[in-house]
Order: sequence, then C-alpha cells, then structure tokens
Amino acid sequence: MTSGRARPLFPIGVAVVAFAFLGLFMLYPLWNVFRASILDSAGETFTLANYAKVLSTAFYRAGIFNSLLIGILTTLATIAIGVPLAFCVARMPVPGKPLLLALAALPLVLPSFVGAYAWVLLLGRQGILSQALATVGVPGVSIYGIGGLVLVFTLHTFPYVMLPALAAFKAVDVSIEEAGQNLGASRLRTFQRVTLPVVMPAVLAGGLLVFMETLENFGVPFVLAEDMPILAVQAYKLFVGEAGANPALAGVLGVLLVGCTTVALLLQRFYLARRRFATAARTAPPTLAASRWLRWAAGGYAWGVVLVSLVPFFAIVAVSFMRFKGPVMHLEPSLDNFLNLFSRSQRPLANTIMLATAAAAGAAILGVPIGYVLTRFRSGAAHILDVLAMVPFAVAGTVLGIGLVISFNSGWLVLTGGWLILVLAYLVRKLPFNVRASAAILHQIDPSLEEASINLGVSPLRTFFGLTVPLMAGGIIGGTVLTWVTIASELSSTVVLYSGPWTTLTVVMFQALEGTSAGAASAAATVLILVTIVPLAFVYRLLKRHDVALV
Amino acid sequence: MTAIRIDDVARAYGPVVAVAGVSLDIVAGELFTLLGPSGCGKTTLLRMVAGFSKLDRGRILFGDRRIDTVPPHRRNAGMVFQNYAIFPNMTVGGNVAYGLKARHVPGAEMKARIARALELVRLGGFGERWPHQLSGGQLQRVALARCLVVEPDVLLLDEPLSNLDAQLRVEMRAEIRALQQKLRITTIYVTHDQEEALAISDRVAVMRGGRVQQLGTPANIYRRPASAFVAAFLGTTNLLSGPVVARTSAGAVVLADGQRFTVTADGIAEGARVSFSLRPEAIHLSASGEALPPGWAALEARVARIEFLGAITRIEFSYADGALLRVAVLGLPPGLAEGATARLVYDPAQTTVFPAP
Repeated sequence: MTSGRARPLFPIGVAVVAFAFLGLFMLYPLWNVFRASILDSAGETFTLANYAKVLSTAFYRAGIFNSLLIGILTTLATIAIGVPLAFCVARMPVPGKPLLLALAALPLVLPSFVGAYAWVLLLGRQGILSQALATVGVPGVSIYGIGGLVLVFTLHTFPYVMLPALAAFKAVDVSIEEAGQNLGASRLRTFQRVTLPVVMPAVLAGGLLVFMETLENFGVPFVLAEDMPILAVQAYKLFVGEAGANPALAGVLGVLLVGCTTVALLLQRFYLARRRFATAARTAPPTLAASRWLRWAAGGYAWGVVLVSLVPFFAIVAVSFMRFKGPVMHLEPSLDNFLNLFSRSQRPLANTIMLATAAAAGAAILGVPIGYVLTRFRSGAAHILDVLAMVPFAVAGTVLGIGLVISFNSGWLVLTGGWLILVLAYLVRKLPFNVRASAAILHQIDPSLEEASINLGVSPLRTFFGLTVPLMAGGIIGGTVLTWVTIASELSSTVVLYSGPWTTLTVVMFQALEGTSAGAASAAATVLILVTIVPLAFVYRLLKRHDVALV
Repeated sequence: MTAIRIDDVARAYGPVVAVAGVSLDIVAGELFTLLGPSGCGKTTLLRMVAGFSKLDRGRILFGDRRIDTVPPHRRNAGMVFQNYAIFPNMTVGGNVAYGLKARHVPGAEMKARIARALELVRLGGFGERWPHQLSGGQLQRVALARCLVVEPDVLLLDEPLSNLDAQLRVEMRAEIRALQQKLRITTIYVTHDQEEALAISDRVAVMRGGRVQQLGTPANIYRRPASAFVAAFLGTTNLLSGPVVARTSAGAVVLADGQRFTVTADGIAEGARVSFSLRPEAIHLSASGEALPPGWAALEARVARIEFLGAITRIEFSYADGALLRVAVLGLPPGLAEGATARLVYDPAQTTVFPAP
C-alpha cells in the first residue's frame, strides 16, 4: 500500500488466493465430473448417451424421484416441526430454555449416519423397540424406507429451520404487533399480518438448507434406504463400482445432484438477501401469558422434539457399553466393544484427529481473511468472493470426492491415496461455514477500531494481524472447533477418498455398518459422539459470546 | 501548527453525491467546524482528510504537504471517533501507548508521555484501568489522550459528544475547546448540533447536500445567514415569505400570512417575492402607546402558547390569518396569559432577507 488512491491490495489478494484454491480443488474437479458425464466410454467424443441412459432407466429415474421426494417431504416436515418449536422457545413459558437451546442445535453437529444407525438399533428388524412393539401386538414397525428416511432427516435437520425462525420471532417488533391489536385486529390476524411476514423468509431460507442437506447426505440413505435408489448413494456405488467403475454414469448422477442443490442454493441466497430488510426490534418480544394447559403443551412439545432427536444418540452410547455375543446384545455392562475397536488399530482415531485438525486450521486460515473482506470491503472482489465462498454449500460431498479422484489420480498432481486429498475435500466443504462464522464475529467488531489503529500509524495489514485477529480470537477458536467437530464426523466425501492407511473413525463406523458387528459399530459411534460433544462443551460459551451460529 | 487546505474535493457513492466539490482553507491553530444535518457530507469530508474515504477529485494539503495520496497510517492526523473506538482488549495505558509503539518511541519516554497525556485529559492514574470500567465521558477522554499523545499535525473530531448525555456534553465541549486552545492544534470538528458548533468554533462551515452553504464565524452565520436553510438550521427562527407591497424609509414592507412586516430593504423591488428570517429573540413585547425607537415596526398578536423555560420564556403568538410567530424573552413577562393580546415590536435591521425559494 503505497498510495491512498490505489485499489486496496488486500481484498484482491485474498480473492486471488481463494479463487485459485477453490478453482483448483472445487471447480476443476466439478468440471471433470461434468466432462465425464458428457463423454463416451473412450473419453473422447461428446455424447448425451449417458444422460439418455440414466433417464431411460427406471432404476435411476426412481433414484431422482426418491431423492427429490425425500428432500421435499423432509423440508415440509422440518418447517412443520421447527416453526412451532421456535415459537414456543421465543414466546412461550418453556422451562429450562437455555439448556433446551443448547441441546436443540446438537442434532445438526452429531453425525447423521450414527443417528440413522441408532434408529436401526431401535426400530430396525431386530430393533429393541420394534421387537417390544411386536410383543404387544404392533408388528411391522420399521425405520427402513421413505418414512424412516424422512423421520431421521427431519430429526437431524430441524435446527436449520428452528434456529433462524427463532431469531426471526425474536426480531419481530412487538410494538407493531401491539399496534395491530390496538387497532382492533384479532391475535390470529396480527400473527398472519405482522409476525409471519417477518418469520417466513427466515423459515424458507432454513428450509432450503434442509433440502440441500437432505439431497447431499450419503450416510443416512446408505443405512436406511436398503435397495431403494437414492442419488447420492447411487453416484457413489456407480463410481466405486462393485462390478467395475462407471465414472460416466456416476458423473451424470453427480451433475443432476449438484444441479438440484445449486437451484436450492440460489433460491436460498435470494431469500437471505431479502431477509436483511426484516425489522430489528431493540428488545425481544415478551413471553406470552398462557393458561396452564397451554404451558404444559408448549413445554412438552419443545422438550419432546429435542429429546426425541437426541434419544437415539443416548441409546447407542448405552448399547455400546453392553456385551455382544455375535450380533446378539446382552444386558451386561462391558468395555469389550471399545477394546475390540481399539485393539484392531488406534490409527483411525489418530487419523480423524490429525485430518480434522489440519482441515479446520486450513479452513480458518483461508476463511477468516475471506470473511474479513466480505464484511469490510464493498469492492467487486468482495462480491465475487461472496458468491464463490458459498458454492461449496451446493456441492454434494460424494460428488466432490468423485471429482477430486478423477482430477488428481494421475497427471501433474497426484493426490489420491494420501491424506492431503481428504484435508482438501474437508477444507472446501467447510469453507462456507467458516467464512460465515468469521463474518458474524467481525460484525460485532466496530470498523472504527481498525480505523483508529490505522489512524494512530499502524498499517492496515499490521492492524489486521495485531488488532483485528486478537479481537476475533475467541470467536475464531470457537468457530474452528465447530468446524473441527463437523469434519471429524464427515462421511460423504471421506468414503470416496479414504485409502487404507488413512482410514478414519467414520470409515470404521461405515465398514462396521456393512458387517454384522453391532458392538463394534456402536463403539465407533460412541467415540464419534464423544469427539463431537466434548470439544463443543468446551467452546459453547465462546460461541455464544461471539455470536457464531450453526445456521 | 499546520494549515489544512481542501481543494475542490468531491466524492460520489454511485448515484449519491456525498461531497460535491468543496474547497476550504483552514487556518493553522483554529477550531473549524463542519456543521450540517445527517447526510450532508460532513463526515465523508472529515474521513477524506483522515484517509478513510477516497476522493473522486481534488486535493487535500497539510501545510505544503499533499496528503490525499498518502495512506491513512502515514498522515499523522489524529482522529477521535463518534463511538470512541477504544480497544477493548487493552488497558487505558495500552490504548494510549498504541500509537507510540507504532512510532517506536523508547520505553522511558513512552511512559512519561502516556502519563502526561492522561494528566492532560484529567485521567492521571487511570493507566491500569480497563475500558469497560470507565464511563462514557472517561472513554471520550481516553480517546483524546490516545490521539494527542502522538502529537498529530491536525486533530479530527467526528461527532465526539453525540454519545454523551446533555450535561456532560456541555462540560466536555468546553474541555475540548480549552485543550485545543492550550495545544493550538488545527482542529476539524464535525457535528450536527448547532449549539455545540456555535459554542466552541473559531469558524463554522454549514453544509448541505455535499456543499458548503455558508462559511463564517459563529456570530456571523447566526446573525447573517446566507440562506433560509442556514437560518432555520442555526437555532430557532421565524421564516416568513410574501410579496413586497410597499417601500418606506425604514425598509420594504412584505405581506406575509396577511400581516405586513418591515424588513431591511437593500435593493428589493416592489412586487418581488421574498423570504425573510426574524429571530424570536429579536422580537420584543411593548406596552401599547409606548414610543418606539426610530425605524422599528410593530404588530398586534394574540398569545397562543406560553412555554416557561426558566431563564427564558418562549411564546407563540398568532396573528392575522392565524399564523404563528415565535418570540423568546428573558424571564417571565408579568401579566401575560394565553388568549391575551400584546404588541410586538422589532428592528427591521435584525431581519435577514433571502430571495424567495
């Protein structure tokens, strides 16, 4: 910076680095997936035959249909559950709200496929609950199939709707609501005219996140869909190929998947942009007076939803401490499952910790400057970054994994078989979260602090590292731990990219799912749950103070 | 002591013009105030001097040194921010030391200078305190000390008192003025509060729509506003308008709201439409039949509302068509009740005439 009139170099530098990184490790792999989908088997001539084949095969058509149907049903279900839940927490006298709020966000970070597996233990064919139900004369209750998928997805993703809706309910300006009633409108009418318009955009934005997550998710359908075709799973199966890999068809499914999520992302961005015009009330609206019956109903409902979403995780932890003889569980406490798990190898745990640490650190190093540029500059570079940094949201993990393999298993840069390719995939996938967390932290730091520093003679770059970063430190640590936690339980790209020596805990769990050993699987699940919850408990206060949200 | 020269400076944000070609010569050692409503461009102009807003065109000089091409951290222009911008992660001493560290001032000297700066703002011994332990006024003083300790060439104050309560505002503005006089530092002071501007400035530039509307000493712009906007923005006034219906030896007679007013006459033709300002304190109550000083004008009006403010009383009179005329008098005039009729007198020389809008 030698001239005050020069275009600021910092945002441009950050934009260039971000563009180079995402270009090489996200756009280029995605391009290769697309390329594979439009080339013939020799990989030379352009053809639409792959698309024709997919669309003319009933099995794949069903896969597209199932994925979209499950996505839409889950979105509707999360809205139906999440909006009343948010209203209860925001406006009703519900006991234990702080704890409820802390627990309500948990389903998002707990590994979803672990939840799915836990539901299998409860409501699968040999499930504890389904057998109990059968003995009292209710046979045939099963978690498999569309109903089970929607249930598990709903319990996993409802915070995506609930948390923004909660923020919106709290942002409703009560004086407008009161004015409405004062002018003679009924409560219901006021709710329709005043409250809903503020809350709806937040709900829709959250709902689209649910849709994307449901479409992208690999682990849950892998556990629960059985033979029913699902896009993310079929893409993986076609690519890994028990009967020979078929990158072309996998590419077609991948392109369709990314196409659907991209549309959802664009819609989501549109609503997010409009949401900024929501009213900003200075004080949160007061809790409504409610009859005792209503209070019980609200409290029961709120705690009910949150507990049901967490029950499978409690259950699987309990199960993991039971003795298994083959597939049969005995009600005797034992550490055998853990001993078995770790006697085979401690490498997966070490791998998970190492890979997650490297990727989380990388995401912070890349994400914080991007978040900084987005909040502090209004240049063209900032707008490009804003769009670019959100694209990974729309990229399914499986598809990104496939793209990375196609791109980097030969040629000038070979990454397959190593640890770096996993770290890069995690980094790309978690970047949007890190960027948004950094932006949220920065929104709380007044820009005049940085200007004061510059004004006192410290250059902008040294101000950033010497003042801004220390001010952000707590938030960055909290956000990085949150990133770390979600990386540790990442499955969809890991399953495509891992190699023998770089097996992670999620892969161990994944392999145990395919086997019959419920003992080993539940032990791996418990370790994953602990790896998620323990770090979060440590940084929970930091996250709250710096306003880092999961959604 | 550094003079500041602002030379035809402009800045637009897209279609919104923030500063539309402003030129100002700020004399070394003076306290110069940019006064105007929000959005008038005063803060943008100050931030241009500090280096936080870019110039579309024009130049800014400190003395002979052109500084608009110098990055903000090398301008040596001390700025005090509206929200103080005290670093929350440093003690008071740490905040004041910040700029000295950037200048690599040796330890012993640094300590002495910090102590002196804190004494200067009457915060001696506060070095170990944390910002969250201080009141708004104290934070304001820390901001001043932090800024002055580096001995800046110029001092830039961006609405420094707007976050303080009324009582403290009055104290702090006197303190800032005293400090400025003591150090004789060239100061640009931005505010939207006309009373503040009048109280402490050597000169004031009234801004509107990115332009300087009027430039002068406080007394000058108050007494001789160049436009209806300036007259209304600086204090309370009666802004009236109407056609000139006659000329007398005392001036021109304007028919406004059905009442004839006499105004200073300089070169106004009969039949022209004019606006004029008549300050409330320029109107006096007079017993009927009392002789008037030569040239003064009088009118009859009815008391519509009385507002007793202690030292002064504001009275709204209604006249002719029911239009209201604001009058301010010292103390509480005896025997004045709402609904009563009174005779109001004023010196036409105290009116200011503008071309009609």
